Amino acid sequence: MNDMRKIERDVDMNDVKISAKGVQVYYGTTHAIKDVDVLIQDKTVTAFIGPSGCGKSTFLRCLNRMNDTIDICRVTGDIRIDGDDIYDKRVDPVQLRAKVGMVFQKPNPFPKSIYDNVAYGPRIHGMAKNKADLDEIVERALRRGAIWDEVKDRLDAPGTGLSGGQQQRLCIARAVATEPEVLLMDEPCSALDPIATGQVEELIDELRNDYSVVIVTHSMQQAARVSQKTAFFHLGNLVEYGETGQIFTNPQDPRTESYISGKIG
Amino acid sequence: MTDTNMDGPATPQRKNSLMAPDARTKQRNAAEARFKAYGIIAILIGVFFLVVLAASILRNGLPAFTQTVVELEFTLTEEQYNDAESKVLKTAAYKEFLVTAFRENLSERGVEVPFDESAIDRIVGQAGNTLRTYFRANEDQLGQPVTFSLGASSRVDGYFKGRVTREDLSNSRFLNAEDLDIVDVLADVGIMKQQFNWTFVTGKDAGVDNPGGAGIGASVIGSFFMMLVVLMLALPIGVAASIYLEEFAPKNRWTDLIEVNISNLAAVPSIVFGILGLAVFIQLAGLPQSAPLVGGLVLTLMTLPTIIISTRASLKAVPPSIRSAALGVGASKMQSVFHHVLPLAMPGILTGTIIGLAQALGETAPLLLIGMVGFVAREYPDGIVSGFTDANSAMPAQIYTWAARADQAFYEKAWGGIIVLLVFLLAMNVLAIILRRRFERRW
Amino acid sequence: MPLSWIVLTVLAIAAAGYVLGRGRALQSAGGDSRKLHSLPSYYGTNVAMKVIVPSLLILLVWLLVQPIVVSRAVVANVPENVVASGSSMGLFMSDVRRVADGLDAAVAQGSLTRKEAFDIRTEFTNVTQRINEAGVALGSAVTPETLRAAQEFRTLNRIGSIAMSVVVALAALGGIAFGLRESVAGFRARNVVEGGVRLLLIGAASIAILTTVGIVLSLIFNTIEFFRIYPAADFFLSLTWQPSFGGGSSLGIWPLLWGTLYISLIALAVAVPIGLFAAIYLSEYASKPVRAIAKPALEILAGIPTIVYGLFALLTVGPILMVVFGDDGVGWMRSATSVMTAGLVMGIMLIPFVSSLSDDIINSVPQAMRDGSYGLGATKSETIRQVILPAALPGIVGAILLAASRAIGETMIVVLGAGAAARLSLNPFEAMTTITAKIVSQLTGDSDFNSPEALVAFALGMTLFVITLGLNVFALYIVRKYREQYE
Repeated sequence: MNDMRKIERDVDMNDVKISAKGVQVYYGTTHAIKDVDVLIQDKTVTAFIGPSGCGKSTFLRCLNRMNDTIDICRVTGDIRIDGDDIYDKRVDPVQLRAKVGMVFQKPNPFPKSIYDNVAYGPRIHGMAKNKADLDEIVERALRRGAIWDEVKDRLDAPGTGLSGGQQQRLCIARAVATEPEVLLMDEPCSALDPIATGQVEELIDELRNDYSVVIVTHSMQQAARVSQKTAFFHLGNLVEYGETGQIFTNPQDPRTESYISGKIG
Repeated sequence: MTDTNMDGPATPQRKNSLMAPDARTKQRNAAEARFKAYGIIAILIGVFFLVVLAASILRNGLPAFTQTVVELEFTLTEEQYNDAESKVLKTAAYKEFLVTAFRENLSERGVEVPFDESAIDRIVGQAGNTLRTYFRANEDQLGQPVTFSLGASSRVDGYFKGRVTREDLSNSRFLNAEDLDIVDVLADVGIMKQQFNWTFVTGKDAGVDNPGGAGIGASVIGSFFMMLVVLMLALPIGVAASIYLEEFAPKNRWTDLIEVNISNLAAVPSIVFGILGLAVFIQLAGLPQSAPLVGGLVLTLMTLPTIIISTRASLKAVPPSIRSAALGVGASKMQSVFHHVLPLAMPGILTGTIIGLAQALGETAPLLLIGMVGFVAREYPDGIVSGFTDANSAMPAQIYTWAARADQAFYEKAWGGIIVLLVFLLAMNVLAIILRRRFERRW
Repeated sequence: MPLSWIVLTVLAIAAAGYVLGRGRALQSAGGDSRKLHSLPSYYGTNVAMKVIVPSLLILLVWLLVQPIVVSRAVVANVPENVVASGSSMGLFMSDVRRVADGLDAAVAQGSLTRKEAFDIRTEFTNVTQRINEAGVALGSAVTPETLRAAQEFRTLNRIGSIAMSVVVALAALGGIAFGLRESVAGFRARNVVEGGVRLLLIGAASIAILTTVGIVLSLIFNTIEFFRIYPAADFFLSLTWQPSFGGGSSLGIWPLLWGTLYISLIALAVAVPIGLFAAIYLSEYASKPVRAIAKPALEILAGIPTIVYGLFALLTVGPILMVVFGDDGVGWMRSATSVMTAGLVMGIMLIPFVSSLSDDIINSVPQAMRDGSYGLGATKSETIRQVILPAALPGIVGAILLAASRAIGETMIVVLGAGAAARLSLNPFEAMTTITAKIVSQLTGDSDFNSPEALVAFALGMTLFVITLGLNVFALYIVRKYREQYE
């Protein structure tokens, strides 16, 4: 694929947060991801787009080894974060996931209080020395999740009692509370109404200041709105990867063009 | 969305390389390993108990299927017979013949063992009576050599099976160490040996003082008739109730009440069903005590909730498209259910029924309350009707009666009875699994 | 006419009705079954149904009512002074029934002619002896009054059963006539038959209710009977349980309740941790093959009859405990039967109960919860302890309550393994007894059925029923609520 050369031109190697080379994923006998190479930059929003079942979510879940929890899933190839091979035997997925946070398609607050939801990560990773410290971490995370003002008076209320949009922002706050360096988002707005989607998108844009954000989305408009880089997946292949504006206005690959013009999908 | 600006740019603390797990992670992983180990230990404990249970059933129960006998060739002349029959103590006379026969049999084999008549009593129990009964019934056998297999007393039997040791006998009046010397010699020359115990498999309960003659056969028949009642009542009633609840019942308070009732009945202690049987079937309706019919009725009521629950699951598993297809060609609701849904659900229903029956087969407590205790299993029923109405026991109740007796020789019978019971249960469960494998559809 | 003959006659009439009804319907359509509203067999079934249902219903009701009416009539004719002091009309009537049975038996054997049985008098014949010879054992000599009442009893019963045969036969014939009159082409036979089947189905479904009603009524009536002859306050407040068959028993429930709860507590202490950890391991850690073997292996434990566990407690576990805790060991245990023996074995029995219910409940916690936790870098055990278990807690509590109700109602293990002595003690190695074990021993003993020593079993049964019902209702409520939460 000749666009790979183009990526290397465009990307400043010093800024690369995640590099993936020759990644293959198998679900049992199904070949779900075929030889994907990609470089993801720090402090950037990268969008993965493509039709359903194209492997974009599967690939996303490789980046923090969430696929380890699925028995039949097998990953080969080389994925590095800050130069460390995350599939190395010495790497503990637990530590990795603290560094690479994740937000899921459906808001999934734990059946605990709002406070405990956010404090869960910091607690298990032992990030707070005392209660005051934890309070501060929770407040900071909720502020960064743009939900502090809405919940500050009812931190003891159950997280499941919030509205869908609030729940998803709570989940984002929960993810940032462990101070990750990368934030993976798997279709974070697919279960939300347009207003809540708008709020979450705004939040994603702000998060770019601190994190490298990778977002899987079904909606091309959303990719265009929030991302700087876009990767198009089709049938397990990474078809095209580049600046978002360029992918949408001047796609190099005919498949990309068909997809964004609505012919496949 | 202004509140994020307050803390300014975040400063994510740089952690160590991913390659070197930090101390806390090591600690957390250790906790993880411990937690997983608890799970494995729990499983192992469960499996360990299962193995211990199986081992103690087999070790204690298998000896019940063998029996120690004395095989003796014996000729009784007509003269001796008439002589003995004219005496006052008839069985004692026969015992004397027996002693003589023992002496002859032993000396034929060239062995000399000193023993007295009382030792014979202790070793082969009531043998005199056995001989008398035999010859009175078969007078034509007089004067001809007849080979007898006389059951050894339960203590001699126990000695052969390792249940009784010489030390145990130090002050027993039933058997002493000298008797065991005789027993050893008898075993050496092949007069005394072990053989398969048909009496145990086909026999009846022979009373408190005769563990050797105790058999489980009669109560197997009792259990069989009970299961017949359960099958004939619980299957149709259970299926009818499930069809109504699953296919016809409107959603109202009455059906709600029935639903709650069924799930509660499934958890009512079995002994309460025994009380119900005693009060309603025996006291109120005047049905005979200890009858398999009553036992079957009680077990039917007890099994119904189980059968209803599994039948409803099978009916639910038939996809609605089948019902719509039947209704679409103009069948009535009733026809769609009886012609299409029920046949398709039948394998699942039968599987559930067999499992319900297996559960009923092992139930003991309610049977005790309606009088189906072991010691009533003294006779085989002499027909179909008496099979339902004559006093009988059932396998688990028979086992209980043996276990509760003071004579330890009955414990072996109880364990053996458990093997018989479990063989039946195993067969029923295997049948259920085969049915499920062969006929159950996945939609 | 014997009962079976009546039933057979009804069935024969029904069969005839089926054939006739089918034929008549076909005939009315001119032999062309397409002109009928329903299939011909529905017309036949309709007639058969109209024969069987009313006549068998009448038969059933008659059989239930006749004994009551007859005894009333007999009682009404008995002179007041016959019933000796210290006796009761109930006892007198049971004598009457026995004598009547004896006369029946004597007639059946031919030792009395039918006429003799009606005319016989104690003044002239030794009736007691004749009846005893017929194989019916009588407790005491037959008094003239008893004999007269018995003869009246027999006469009334005879009249009753003749009347019953006639009425049932009339009902069957009426049914066939009515059904046949309906059997014409335009009649909606299928709808009527289906309506009947539907009623049958409703009846089957209502048996569950009837069972519960039967349980409750049989417990309540006998419990009231018990409290009439034994003070309720003593039953609920006394701390001693000492039945003596000569009377003057002390029947306090507390020692039994304590034994029941103590044994259940030990059983749960064994079953809950093992069952819960087994469920966690099976649902969260075990690979497919391990699960495929370990899960059914544990469930075998649930399929084993309780009598097997009882024997296991008495003959295997008890002696093993004796070796360790008995006089040769620590010296805490005096006999192989004890609270610990029964509790331990009951715990084993309950392991699969706790584990498979908990397994279901843990599996119904949505995967999204696990993903959320793993995504934050939690280990499996942290996820289980801090996310899954709290989420599944209500369901697990429900499962444990159901297991507790099982333990409280379990009979055979405690009958064989716990001992027979009722005592209030804290030592788990002492023999104690439970409510269920005493129900068995009080009702299988030799005591008179109307004595407080036997009737107390019903009060115990009532207590047991109320406790387990409460636990079940509460547990099922919790489990149902929990299921709704994730559906």
